[in-house]
Formats: sequence, structure tokens, C-alpha cells
Amino acid sequence: MPVHVDTLDDVASILERLCKSRAGAGPGAAVAATMNFVVFIDDDAHRRWVLERAERIAEKHPSRMIVLDSTHAIKGVDVSCGSSEGTGATIRNERLDLGIAALDHESIVATAHQLTIREIPTVLWWSGARLLESRTFLGLAENADVVVIDSSGKAHDEETLAELCTFAERHPHVALHDLAFLRLAPWQEMIAQFFDDPALRADLFALSAVEIESGSAAEALYLGAWIGSRIAWEALDSHTFRTRDGRSLSFERIKNGEQRRILRVTLRSDHSTYAATLCGERVVRLSVEGANARPPWLVSLHAVSSTSLIERAILAPGADKMFEATLATLRGLMR
Amino acid sequence: MLTQPGAPPASDGHVLNPLREGLSSDHVTDPCTIVFFGATGDLMKRMLIPAMWNLRLENLLPTSYAIVGFSRSNLSDDDFRAQMKDAVDQFSRSGPAKDPLWSDFAQHVQYVSGDFDDPRPFKKLRAQLEDNDKKLGTQGNRLYYLSTPPSVFGKIIDQLSAAKLGPKDQEQGWSRIIIEKPFGTDLDSARALQAEVIKVFEERQVYRIDHYLGKEPVQDIMALRFANVIFEPIWNRRYVDCVQITAAETVGVEGRGGYYDNAGALRDMIQNHVINLLALVAMEPPISPSADHIRDEKYKVLSALRPIAGADVSKVAVRGQYGAGVIDGKGLPSYRQEPSVDPNSNTETYASVKFLIDNWRWADVPFYLRSGKRLARKYSEIAINFRQIPHRIFGETGDTIEPDALVMKIQPEEGVTIRFNAKIPGPKMHIRSVTMDFNYGTGFGVVSAPAYERLIGDAMRGDATLFTRWDAVETAWQIVMPILEDWRGSVATDFPNYPSGSQGPSSADALLAADGRTWRRI
Repeated sequence: MPVHVDTLDDVASILERLCKSRAGAGPGAAVAATMNFVVFIDDDAHRRWVLERAERIAEKHPSRMIVLDSTHAIKGVDVSCGSSEGTGATIRNERLDLGIAALDHESIVATAHQLTIREIPTVLWWSGARLLESRTFLGLAENADVVVIDSSGKAHDEETLAELCTFAERHPHVALHDLAFLRLAPWQEMIAQFFDDPALRADLFALSAVEIESGSAAEALYLGAWIGSRIAWEALDSHTFRTRDGRSLSFERIKNGEQRRILRVTLRSDHSTYAATLCGERVVRLSVEGANARPPWLVSLHAVSSTSLIERAILAPGADKMFEATLATLRGLMR
Repeated sequence: MLTQPGAPPASDGHVLNPLREGLSSDHVTDPCTIVFFGATGDLMKRMLIPAMWNLRLENLLPTSYAIVGFSRSNLSDDDFRAQMKDAVDQFSRSGPAKDPLWSDFAQHVQYVSGDFDDPRPFKKLRAQLEDNDKKLGTQGNRLYYLSTPPSVFGKIIDQLSAAKLGPKDQEQGWSRIIIEKPFGTDLDSARALQAEVIKVFEERQVYRIDHYLGKEPVQDIMALRFANVIFEPIWNRRYVDCVQITAAETVGVEGRGGYYDNAGALRDMIQNHVINLLALVAMEPPISPSADHIRDEKYKVLSALRPIAGADVSKVAVRGQYGAGVIDGKGLPSYRQEPSVDPNSNTETYASVKFLIDNWRWADVPFYLRSGKRLARKYSEIAINFRQIPHRIFGETGDTIEPDALVMKIQPEEGVTIRFNAKIPGPKMHIRSVTMDFNYGTGFGVVSAPAYERLIGDAMRGDATLFTRWDAVETAWQIVMPILEDWRGSVATDFPNYPSGSQGPSSADALLAADGRTWRRI
């Protein structure tokens, strides 16, 4: 059972409660933590969803989880220690739920910082709506080794992406991960598959149009920017790239379907059309038509949960160079 | 690290696929046909076809591929596909196969029936492979997988050569061959098989599979040793008292009595799996993670194993055979009562051997290896037992100060445990052993792919790191041959000498007791 502390003013008191809670796990209990896991929530509708996923991660990765809850759902601090089932002797995670609705950003940042364990990395999962406009985000991110956000599926995808680009430029030392980008890995693999065949590879450098149909903007923008970053395209505006040999290339986004889902990616050269089309819940049909025509083939589209994506971000060693290169191209698209 | 974007040329002058860089599968598998000999056998159903299916689900197969089953049973393509579907439904880690992906996969599955003595089906196989090259775009690349009984390995290789299916007959593409263990039944037969193999394939085209080496914790032995600075300085005779490597099973021969009665624990486990573990633990740091550099070091350390003279076998090796007993409350028969086993069998179901390595790092440090069936618990581990502290200043007279130990757990748990001593809280300086555990499952929250998936994928990509090179195979046979010959030439009058569900024969305890040591408890 969590122990409740009424006020956040006294960090020492919170840590003292944590020690008492630890002792409750039994004599000889050992504490093992691999990270501070700071989770920020400011949306009532999203709160349960975020907490469930954060809990799943904390169950697997011994950690001190600090939930910064700005939704008025709690006041004060709930302190608890989870012990592994069966042994009862090893504390697998520690958890502090802080009701921060009434606090100013400086107090939130300072309190969170004092509650972290110094010797281990700090991962910030920011589920808040805005980035640069939030001084709390900037403060927490400054103290984090890894920052995880999800730019997709919000009301202002494109604004969030623009803020993310700016943040990444200003804070190159922070290992930044966006779930919206991580979610694209299966589609990146599929698009790459077209050009694994050496006979088709030259066409990659002769593409004249990219068209992406998706339920939210972030996926299409990221995928377009990723392709562009790998082939050294320069983004002239939100709908046009310039290739290395000076040709213009159109980039069209069609909004259709569920949020966070891609329905179709089409790449066109003068001679051939490469299409990856969702044709079932978890199956994508790849086809090449025109001069380079190939028999169509199916690939499975793995449903990767948000929990798994956050884990990938946590376990990734350092900054994601591919993501950084994509963001650099994305900046041009967002101009 | 990503290279500059654009169109970077590869060392062979070809333009690489820039979209691949930075993706999880940045090393792409060439289009190819994989031919499984012995395709209606148990290994195919339980391991190989589920591995292929899961590689397909993970999108790790090339875009252009074909799977050809070759076996004696007279089946049509559709019959074979139906058998494979049943096998996947029953044994795949991803559960039953579903459409439309299964139908798409099944279109790539073909079957050739025929006897391994008959050249005609090999001609048919050649026609099928050439057809695949034309119609499916497999580009002349072939991976042959021998999952048959070892007695027909040589025949199949001869027939491949006669049908002009060997690498020397190819105008385009590559050919590789995966050979299941055991590679020979003794040194002579292994050399004879090797002579057959190299008539057709070059060593770099031969992938001798030992599925143990595909297990994630086995691969982590090198990471533990060579990606950390804290272990390597104490990884030598100055700090290590002994090394114990255990591969214990609770199962018996499980319907393989006919095979096992001609093999035994020494051939089945010690000569390959367990000696490979020894090599990984004892080898010097390779200069790079490349297949050849790692295999060079493994060969070097195996070459440094002190040869065992025939007269000394009884001093360094112990054999056992299980009798009746109880495991998990279930009464079990003795080995000699198992189906297809000679009722007077002299075959060992347990073997333990003490090895010494004659080099600077390991001089006088014994490596105790043991493997057995129907033991008290199923587990595999490597235990590095460190020396006693040189001078004892803590603890009451009655306290035991255990030496430190580092244990690499391979199965069923996968992880690392370090045992060290700590003070029991209180006014007196009482000391007790405690452990620190690292478990892969909870530590990283990811489940590693089964060994066969990893190894087949590696062979398709041409990465031989986790496969055994001939020089190591030959050396391992040379090491165990004196024991094999001694045991073959003498009847074990005490068989059966350990009950099912026990720690093994008491003579194994005596082997260590003679050195003043004890086995870690199974």
C-alpha cells in the first residue's frame, strides 16, 4: 500500500517515507535501480493510459519512478515500493506519485531533481501537450539523459514537431526519442526493401514523387524527412524536396484513416511506381509496377506497443543519429 | 554511426542501399534458396521450419527466397506444405500460422522426394533451383542444410557434386552448407567426413552448427569478458581456483535410444557443446569480433588443452549411466530399460572430465566439465570459482568464508550471478555469502530469438562467427579420443551407477574430492 505525504515541501520527509516503505518489503531487502523514470502527465483523458504503460515498464526495469501528475487527480505524494513476486526480498521498483497541479514550474523541476538517484540515468517521458512553451518541460529535460515524447495523434502534430526540431537544435546533448518516429520502423524496413535489389537501387536516386497517406501528420512528415535525409534531399518547403542533382521532387501528404496509422506509401520515378499498401490489420502489400515491375509480395506489420517503443528508447545507447538526421531534414519541411 | 547520406559506394564498387543504414536489419540477406535435407524429420518440424516461419514474420528473409524440402517420403509440394503448416502450428513461438502471410510463405515452399543414393532426385533438385533462380529471382544463391542422420552426410555431398550443385559448378551466386552435429562419431570418422566435405566445399562455405552457440547467454560470455574492465584482470590463474561447466538435463533419451546408445554423453555433449563453452571462457581476447579472429582464439585455447594419456583416463574422467528413479514425483525407468537401448548397454549417460590448459593464463587451473541425463535439475551454467582469501581477518571461528564465484547461467535461467561475502548486520563481525543477480529477461525486458533462428539467419548472411571451424572440431575430437577409446574398450561394471533425479555418480564427486573440491549442487 502506498504511504501518503500531504505536502511536497519537504523532500527529506518524502525520502524518509520511501526508506520506511522499503523496510516494509522485509529484512535483507536489496534495492536495485537501473534508472530514474520521470513521467509527466497533464491530460485527464490520457492519464490512465500513460500510467498503465509506465507501470509496465517499471515492472520490467528496476527503477525509481517519479510520476509528476498535473491533472488534479492527486494531492501531496504517494510513496510505494514494489517487491518481486515470490522472493519478497528484492525491491524491484520505487514509486513516487506527486500531485503537482498547484506548483510552479521551478518547484516541480527542483523537487523532481532532488528525488532522483544521482548515480543512474534519468529518463523523462513527457506526455504533455506542448514542449517549448512549457518551462516545466525545458527544466525537466535539462536534467534528463533521455527524453521520450509522442508527437503523434495530438491536435497540433505539426506545431509539436516544429517545437521538437527547435528543442533538438538547442539541446544537442539530450538523447531525444519520439514514439511517433520509433513507430515507423516497420515502414522504414519495408521502403528499404524495395531498393535492396541492386537492380532497382539506381531508381532510388531517380525518384520524382513521394506520397504518404496516414491518419496523422507526424508519421507522414517523419517518413518523408527520413527518406530525404538518407538520400541527401533538401526540403524547400512542406511539399517540395530538391535532390542532389538539382531536380525538384514533390512530397504529398494525404490525411486519411486512424491516428498514428499509415495506410500507403508511394514512391514514383519516371519509369516505376513503388507502393507499400496496408491491406489488412497487420499485412502490407509491396508492389513495383512499370519498367522495374516485380511480383507483389506481402510482409507482416508488427503491432509494436507504446510500452515496447518506450523500452527501445530507454535501452538505445545514446542519441539516435538516424533520428537526428531526420529532424534536420524535417526542419526544412516545417519552414 | 551513419555515413554521409547520398550514394556511398561499397568496397566492391556497388552502391549500397542508403535507406538501410541505421535500421535494425542493416545487413541484408541475399536472395537465396534454402534446401533442407531430411525435411520430414523431427528437427525440421520442431525447430527448422518454425525458425524459417519466424524469420519470415520478422521480415528477416530476403524478398526473393525459396525453401526446398528434400527427403525420402513420397510427398507432393502441397502435402509437404500441409506438414509444415502443422509443424508451425504446433511448435512455432509465434503461435499458429495465419493467412494471408502463410499462403504467401507456402508459395515459396517446395519439395523434392528421393533417396540419397539415387542421382535422379538431385538432378530434379538442380532443375528446381535453376527454376527458382529464373522465376523467383534467387540469383543462384544456395544454402544447403543437412538435418539428416550423420551417416548420409557424405552421400548427400557426393550427390550434390555429381549433380553439379556444388559451389565450383556455379556461374553466379554463392553456395553454403550447414552441417548438423555430430560432425563424425570419432576423430577418424570426422576426418573422413571433412575429406568428403572439402572435395566440394571450401572451409569458408561450411557452417557446422551447434545450436548451443546461438543462445544469447553463450554470446554474452564474450560481452561479459571483453566489454567490461572489471572481470578480465582477475580472469586468470592468480585469482581463479577452478572452472566448473555443467550441462544437466532431467530428460532421458526421449525416443532417441537408437541414436544415443551409439553416441553417449561424451560425444553428444562434452565433445561439442561443453568444450565450446570452455573455449569461450578460456580464450584470449580476439583482436576483433570477426568470425575468423574469434575462431582463431578458440582454436588456440583448445590446442593448449593438456592431452590425456590413455593410462590417465580413470584419474580425470568419470562415466555414469542412469538407473531407475523419481523426478517430479514420477517414477522413471533405467537407461537400459529405454526403448531401442541395449539391455546390457555400456553407453554413458553422464560424463565428467577434468581438463588442464597449458598456457600462461590458466596453468594448473582445473576446468571441470560435466553433462548428464536424468539429473536432479535441468540447467546449464559456467561457474568461475575464485581462490580463497589469502588471510582471514573477519568472522568467528565457526563462520565459513566461501570463496567468491561468478556464475554465467545459460538455461533455463539466462543471466549472471556474482557471489561474494558480506557482514551480517549486528555488533559482531559475522560474514555470510550473498549474491547479486542479473537476469536477461527482466534486465532488458526483451526475449531473445531461439538459437536456430539466429543461426540460420547468420548462415544466410554469411556470418560464420557462431559456427565451428574444422580446426576446432578436429582438436575437440583429439582431446576426447583417449577417453572415448578407454571407455569403448572397457565394460563399466558398476552401470547403472546413479539413480534418475540424483546429482550423478558418486565417482564424479570423488574426482573433485581428490583435488580438495566439490561440485556445485545441481
